[in-house]
Amino acid sequence: MIKKYAVFTVLLLFSHLSYGASGGDLKPVAIDLGNKASLQRGAQIYFNNCSGCHTLQYHRYSKFVNDLGISEDMIKSNLILTTNKGEKTKLGSTIINSINHDSIKEVFGVVPPDLTLTARSRGSEWIYTFLTSFYEDETRPMGVNNILYPNVNMPHVLWYKEGLKKLDENNQLILKVKGQLNQKEYEQEITDLVNFLTYVAEPAQLERYSIGFWVMLFLVFFAFITYLLKIEYWRDIK
Amino acid sequence: MSDNNNSSNRRNFLTNLTKVMGGVGAVFAAIPFLSTMSPSEKTKMAGAPIEIDVSSIQPGAFKIVEWRGKPVWVVHRTPEMLDKIKNEAGYLADPESNEENQPQYAQNKFRSLKPEYLVLLGVCTHLGCSPLYKPGENKDLGLEWKGGFFCPCHGSKFDLSGRVFKGMPAPTNLEVPPYYFASETKLIVGADEG
Amino acid sequence: MSKFIAWIDERLPVTKFVKNHLSEYYAPKNFNFFYFFGSLALFVFILQIITGIFLTINYKPDAASAFASVEYIMRDVEWGWLIRYMHSTGASFFFIVVYLHMLRALMYGSYKKPRELLWLFGMFIFVLLMAEAFMGYLLPWGQMSYWGAQVIISLFGAIPLIGESLALWIRGDYVISDATLNRFFAFHVIALPLLLFAVIYLHIAALHTVGSNNPDGIEIKANKNKDGVPVDGIPFHPYYTVKDIFGLAVFLTIFMFVVFFLPEFGGFFLEKDNFVPADPLKTPEHIVPVWYFTPFYAILRAVPDKLGGVIAMGLAIFVLFLMPWLDRCKVKSIRYRSISYKILLAAFIISFIGLGYIGMKAPTPTLTVLGRLFTIVYFGFFVLLYFTSKNEKTKPVPDRVTMHD
Repeated sequence: MIKKYAVFTVLLLFSHLSYGASGGDLKPVAIDLGNKASLQRGAQIYFNNCSGCHTLQYHRYSKFVNDLGISEDMIKSNLILTTNKGEKTKLGSTIINSINHDSIKEVFGVVPPDLTLTARSRGSEWIYTFLTSFYEDETRPMGVNNILYPNVNMPHVLWYKEGLKKLDENNQLILKVKGQLNQKEYEQEITDLVNFLTYVAEPAQLERYSIGFWVMLFLVFFAFITYLLKIEYWRDIK
Repeated sequence: MSDNNNSSNRRNFLTNLTKVMGGVGAVFAAIPFLSTMSPSEKTKMAGAPIEIDVSSIQPGAFKIVEWRGKPVWVVHRTPEMLDKIKNEAGYLADPESNEENQPQYAQNKFRSLKPEYLVLLGVCTHLGCSPLYKPGENKDLGLEWKGGFFCPCHGSKFDLSGRVFKGMPAPTNLEVPPYYFASETKLIVGADEG
Repeated sequence: MSKFIAWIDERLPVTKFVKNHLSEYYAPKNFNFFYFFGSLALFVFILQIITGIFLTINYKPDAASAFASVEYIMRDVEWGWLIRYMHSTGASFFFIVVYLHMLRALMYGSYKKPRELLWLFGMFIFVLLMAEAFMGYLLPWGQMSYWGAQVIISLFGAIPLIGESLALWIRGDYVISDATLNRFFAFHVIALPLLLFAVIYLHIAALHTVGSNNPDGIEIKANKNKDGVPVDGIPFHPYYTVKDIFGLAVFLTIFMFVVFFLPEFGGFFLEKDNFVPADPLKTPEHIVPVWYFTPFYAILRAVPDKLGGVIAMGLAIFVLFLMPWLDRCKVKSIRYRSISYKILLAAFIISFIGLGYIGMKAPTPTLTVLGRLFTIVYFGFFVLLYFTSKNEKTKPVPDRVTMHD
């Protein structure tokens, strides 16, 4: 527990160092890769709503077994929705889909980007803010627009969950059509989804911190011993 | 004087402790480096068990599938073939399959779970060539030949259970990979049942 | 055992070598904090070689699969992520260590007679290291890899007459492409490491010929006892081996902390845009070199002329080679030099750090002015040093080294 807090505090300190793309108006999102249930829900939301168009081409289904604790059968029946040459996509396959790039480009104007590393290239907060910033806009081909990413070509896929929002005169989002979920439930689902995408961007995070803790412990002790050793030898030097 | 002694004891102790810790640290540090050379997730998943629908293999027919980059043979043996195997003569090197070249459930004359389906790793136990399937009688292969597998590289002969003939370059019978039947027709190669 | 060693010694003088370079190699006893960074630089070099070899095992130098192979290392190869982070963090730490090592030389006059050649070899190492880092940065084939290389190689195009064909020759294509990646891979994994190895060898050989300088800037060899041992010298082994092991342990603690907890280091060590595969048709909004190049990049941008900028940048590195002849003061250590040198060196350090900061930022009018100012200070250091150092008012240098801890 203590080590978790220690790591968290340090990360918090350094998060202010980061420079670059992070704008000031990104919403914070509580990433917790230790929360397996959240990661599993995120995976389910991803495969139900996103995987039709977006790929996770550098990641394999099989990683979910150990990393997220989802059983092979669950993955095969619930997450693998694609086929390859008539056969169901294999467990060890990377997470790609079979959409035709030309025809999808005709519909959306772009090929939907691969999402494996989006949480690293744009950041978790960016994805979270993006998915909570859709509003109705009749002038756009998909009928929606996005505050964070103006004129984005992506439709608001999750509108059936969130409902449809519109911009009021103060540029605030207000709910126009109710969805299946209330605001809080929707934000929780998006948090789960972003949590999942954060894991996918760097699966090593699941073990990095705990291994790092033991390595630190060893090295600090080793440094202490070598310090005593140095002092001991240097008593000769006047 | 005693101060000197204390100091040299302390010095030796710290030197040795540093050496031991450094050694332990180096060993632990070596693990991740050497591990990167073991099969990756991609390779391991490519080596995952494979499914074969045996209902598509006609009696007497032979099918090659790939498992871990190696050929796996599935032969649907006819009753006549099984008879030949049963009446095997003394020309086999290891007719009872005493060598550990098969899972326990395949240590029998037919070297299989179900006598009619033979599952073999199609790699000669001599130097790794893949033998050829020659089901019929064949004068060129000798009078004892009642059908089996013939390795073109160095001439090793195996019967229809993959048992090696005596006096062949190949030292042992052909290997049987782990397999089981998930259903009547669904053969899983690469794992034991359960 | 001793017989075996005698057998070896008859054929290869191992014992003599150990004596000459460790147990009877006498180093000044007053080394301070800054003297850790030489041995640490050697350690990081070896670490980069080892992690590099294990990365090469799974990396594919092919424009179509390079990016994916790095992600393959990061997730599919057992422990691949650790090796990769050690290599990427190691690159940055190499420069931290080398910059501090160079600063030490500037502070204590380690480039002065009889160590001019030692300094020149060191500068060659620095230049090779920059080339090594630059080429290595292309290999992940991310957006920053691609566009960073595009910008830097285009600099060669500024050279009159031959520039364009030179840039074309380096790339082997009209843009950065598969051909460029392949040759950079060859240079990065074999050509430059071999050269580095050779020059590091010469650097250490030259050091062990003339002996180490020290924070007092005194030649300990000038003061020997009747056995011919410098009175202010102590055997490198065990005294400096145990001290350097301690330094290494502290270094490793910091280094591994970054590897495990902050491998991106807030975008300084691994840039965000480099998690997007290279796209020759789309430039990222803001191209920045990795932090260790930014001081020189800022000098490049400070000059409002393409060729002029390239010359200024080249000169900024080249002028360092001349330090042994620009600094004409006989006293080595900053401890006994005049206030003018202290001010000059302080201004130089501030300008270097300031340029490093400016090089990371998108150019704004204020930063451009500041960048020019710092560039003037950077070069001013060398010019003023040349004129002030001749008749510098120095303090008396003691005969024997002083111990401070």
